[in-house]
Amino acid sequence: MARKMLVDEEMTQTNQEEAHFDFDLFVIGAGSGGVRAARFSANFGAKVGICELPFHPISSEVIGGVGGTCVIRGCVPKKILVYGAAFGGELEDAQNYGWELNEKLDFNWKKLLHKKTDEIIRLNGIYKRLLSNAGVKLFEGEGKIVGPNEVEVTQLDGTKLSYSAKHILIATGSRAQRPAIPGQELGITSDEALSLEDLPKRAVIFGGGYIAVEFASIWRGLGAEVDLFFRRELPLRGFDDEMRAVVARNLEARGINLHPQTNLTELIKTDNGIKVITDHGEELLADVVLFATGRLPNSKRLNLEAVGVELDKTGAVKVDEYSRTNIPSIWAVGDVTNRMNLTPVALMEGTCFAKTVFGGESCKPDYSHIPCAVFSIPPLSVVGLSEEQAIEQANSDVLVFTSNFNPMKNTISGRQEKTVMKLVVDAETDKVLGASMCGPDAPEIMQGIAVALKCGATKAQFDSTVGIHPSAAEEFVTMRSVSRRITVSGKPKENL
Amino acid sequence: MVSTCLTAPKLSAPTLQTLCRNLPLTLPSSTLYSFSRLLSPSTSRFRHHHVPLQRRCLFSTRSKSGNDAEPLRDYDFDLFTIGAGSGGVRASRFAANFGASVAVCELPFSTISSETTGGVGGTCVLRGCVPKKLMVYASKYSHEFHESNGFGWKYDTKPKHDWSTLVANKNAELQRLTGIYKNILNNAGVTLIEGRGKIVDPHTVDVDGKLYTARHILISVGGRPFIPEIPGSEYAIDSDAALDLSTKPEKVAIVGGGYIALEFAGIFNGLKSEVHVFIRQKKVLRGFDEEIRDFVGDQMSLRGIEFHTEEAPQAIVKSADGSLSLTTNKGTVEGFSHIMFATGRRPNTKNLGLESVGVKTNKNGAIEVDEYSRTTVPSIWAVGDVTDRINLTPVALMEGGALAKTLFQNEPTKPDYRAIPSAVFSQPPIGQVGLTEEQAIKEHGDIDVYTANFRPLKATLSGLPDRVFMKLIVCARTNKVLGLHMCGEDSAEIVQGFAVAVKAGLTKVDFDATVGIHPTSAEEFVTMRTPTRKIRQSPAAEGKMGVEANAAGV
Repeated sequence: MARKMLVDEEMTQTNQEEAHFDFDLFVIGAGSGGVRAARFSANFGAKVGICELPFHPISSEVIGGVGGTCVIRGCVPKKILVYGAAFGGELEDAQNYGWELNEKLDFNWKKLLHKKTDEIIRLNGIYKRLLSNAGVKLFEGEGKIVGPNEVEVTQLDGTKLSYSAKHILIATGSRAQRPAIPGQELGITSDEALSLEDLPKRAVIFGGGYIAVEFASIWRGLGAEVDLFFRRELPLRGFDDEMRAVVARNLEARGINLHPQTNLTELIKTDNGIKVITDHGEELLADVVLFATGRLPNSKRLNLEAVGVELDKTGAVKVDEYSRTNIPSIWAVGDVTNRMNLTPVALMEGTCFAKTVFGGESCKPDYSHIPCAVFSIPPLSVVGLSEEQAIEQANSDVLVFTSNFNPMKNTISGRQEKTVMKLVVDAETDKVLGASMCGPDAPEIMQGIAVALKCGATKAQFDSTVGIHPSAAEEFVTMRSVSRRITVSGKPKENL
Repeated sequence: MVSTCLTAPKLSAPTLQTLCRNLPLTLPSSTLYSFSRLLSPSTSRFRHHHVPLQRRCLFSTRSKSGNDAEPLRDYDFDLFTIGAGSGGVRASRFAANFGASVAVCELPFSTISSETTGGVGGTCVLRGCVPKKLMVYASKYSHEFHESNGFGWKYDTKPKHDWSTLVANKNAELQRLTGIYKNILNNAGVTLIEGRGKIVDPHTVDVDGKLYTARHILISVGGRPFIPEIPGSEYAIDSDAALDLSTKPEKVAIVGGGYIALEFAGIFNGLKSEVHVFIRQKKVLRGFDEEIRDFVGDQMSLRGIEFHTEEAPQAIVKSADGSLSLTTNKGTVEGFSHIMFATGRRPNTKNLGLESVGVKTNKNGAIEVDEYSRTTVPSIWAVGDVTDRINLTPVALMEGGALAKTLFQNEPTKPDYRAIPSAVFSQPPIGQVGLTEEQAIKEHGDIDVYTANFRPLKATLSGLPDRVFMKLIVCARTNKVLGLHMCGEDSAEIVQGFAVAVKAGLTKVDFDATVGIHPTSAEEFVTMRTPTRKIRQSPAAEGKMGVEANAAGV
């Protein structure tokens, strides 16, 4: 099983026998899913290689970095900026609590940016160590698939390495996309937005998904004038409608200008900034235009067509319930499969893959009751079904419990912002089908609720839990009266 | 049909309950309340002309078919509650919603409680949870200013705190809340009587000279801070006063190691006082999980609080300049502007007439009750801190709710004390539910302990030494999660959802099957893969408890 370094023309290795594979597993892409699968497979005794593009905060076809989107260009840097931005509101709130702050507060964007970059470099190092401690061999370069059991890694200096592997795992993730409008090159994606040299004074964001609302909150919290354009009536399509309205209201109350049902049609460079033109004929000037209009799987440069790995029309790698592609020796996890594009889901898929292939235990990722969070300010977090989904899927009546309250902190700060919580319950079985919350600490609060929902907790079990007082979370166990009941036929009855 | 208010709504026919439940409860209550207010209780026996419609129907029906063994007797009220705090208000409201006629008496409002002052809302709202949490919010900002430096925020001059703004805004909020509580009672149709209630006989309460009769009496008078008698203890303040200081304490001694002591230590520290905490034990928070005790002590020390361990107070001396010194078994510390005692609370059972009527109290003065909150006198009940069971607002609410169901919904209900979560709003805060490691070993023997001790994302940027500690205690035999503990930012909020899971008896496997919310602290609770230690009570080999550290890699 000695590792062989082969140059192109020597790539004659065939795989008649297992013993001839260089690796039991070769992973392309060292993000959340790839690192997890690689480490766990190695822990199960597999010999594992992994390749990843060189590190840089901004990704491209030839740039990436161990840690992947989550660590370098997603969850982690985003949350750091949200923390930074949230202080803006905190400093306002502090005043009615007796704190006297000088009129002009200074915020040093470069310092935050610098510390953010330091932190992701540190995490990049930790991920590398995780791999080496697990005995996974890391290659820097671009991976391609050249056969069902054959990968080729193009290194920085152009030299190519070729390895055979019993199994190949594609975990190359996804990248932000830009809309095809004139002047789109003047805009940026979330990659650049996390690494801007200067904090924009006037920011335009195009998109209504979680990335759009998170950046709107970040820039607004740091003092920018923010205009958010999106195609629907409300942001955050796919989430519970009531909660979408709450988020929209909160964003507006925090000073973000919302432009629903509006598309950007053109960007033009001017001396005073980027001129943004909308399909409503509006024009405004911005220092930065962010496209948060979706992400596409990184499947193009993998040479998949050569081996016949099937893709769907968005370019996502098609896989079965075990994350196996149509080629039995090739598997895929994470955003490149476009199932549910969340870090913990990629981790789950990576874990299941390792268990299935090397742990001797068939393991399908379970996509039910996956909680998630939107780190807007204040944040939204949900688990289970939205009210609309519950009604659609219900066999019996659906009970909706809501709580809409002024958080205790606001009673003195004077901030006009309600926290909203919601439980959707099956009237017949009493099972809690969905929970949502928009308000401070929502993502932290929802994790425990998610354990309860995952295990089919009933409303009665929620009610029998004693509250923690005074907390916001206790509202979830003290919702006594039904806000509305929706009958199977779908007609809402108010105030039952 | 008119004056037949035959009190005892111990309903036997389920149809009557249905009737009661289905009738609109909102309609008569507000109008009838104002009506009832007009009927000032000038005589000791006034009849219920103001009984809401559904109640009259109910009772007249009952009276016709009434074959109840109990003697029928006219009372002014079905329930008379002494004390309008969390437990009393909850029991009264729910009882009224179930159709009972209810009165509640409470002392006049004051931020400081005494034999003659209290206020609707009780300890929680006026002298406990709420003002405490508001002070915690206020004090937490100084830590946030620190943190914000690491995130690029700069202050030309250091943020200053103006004590009087805080106290004024806090007191305005308390006034608002006591008003809300009065409205809640009002809207439920409960008669509120201001004054000091005293029990005269098993069915009679005296409020400042006026007598009221009731089929049931509920004692929910709560507890009050207790300061032990030592020389100079008159110079010490308790938590009531500490929540209502007119000026910032420059240097404060806090005597006690319980949750109140720690919460105030955090508050004063955050508001820039010099804080010394004197505790008798080696560690703070007796009764909590040992690792949590260590962890919170360390974290608070790092934030600048000085702990004096194994020191018992012996005397307080006031010097000529007005400053106070505290002498303990180990020595004397001088120069305190304030010395606060957080040395426990005692039930408010004095001068309630309990001895004369035969209500038994234990040696701490707590009223002895059975599982349904009934005292030794069958018509007298007690809930909340006065019974000294688990002294938490939500527990008093549970006890009050259960009592209303038992008495007026024909549904005998015992409060369920299993897996009650609780929080300490220290800085950093603590949240917990279920058993401590020590209790779990005692009750279950073989357990697996999972711990995480990490630097949260926020601290990596802020550069502050803040850490988070989390712990899961799992039964080795059943895989059930027996206890869950956390100390770190947002602990109180995080633990609530997990409390539902622990109460429902979920297993470690269930926790593991749950996907994390990334990036949060809470996700650590569902991603703990390897036990930190396995504790086995193996009678076979060594015959003693073994702690097996699991060194296996992830």
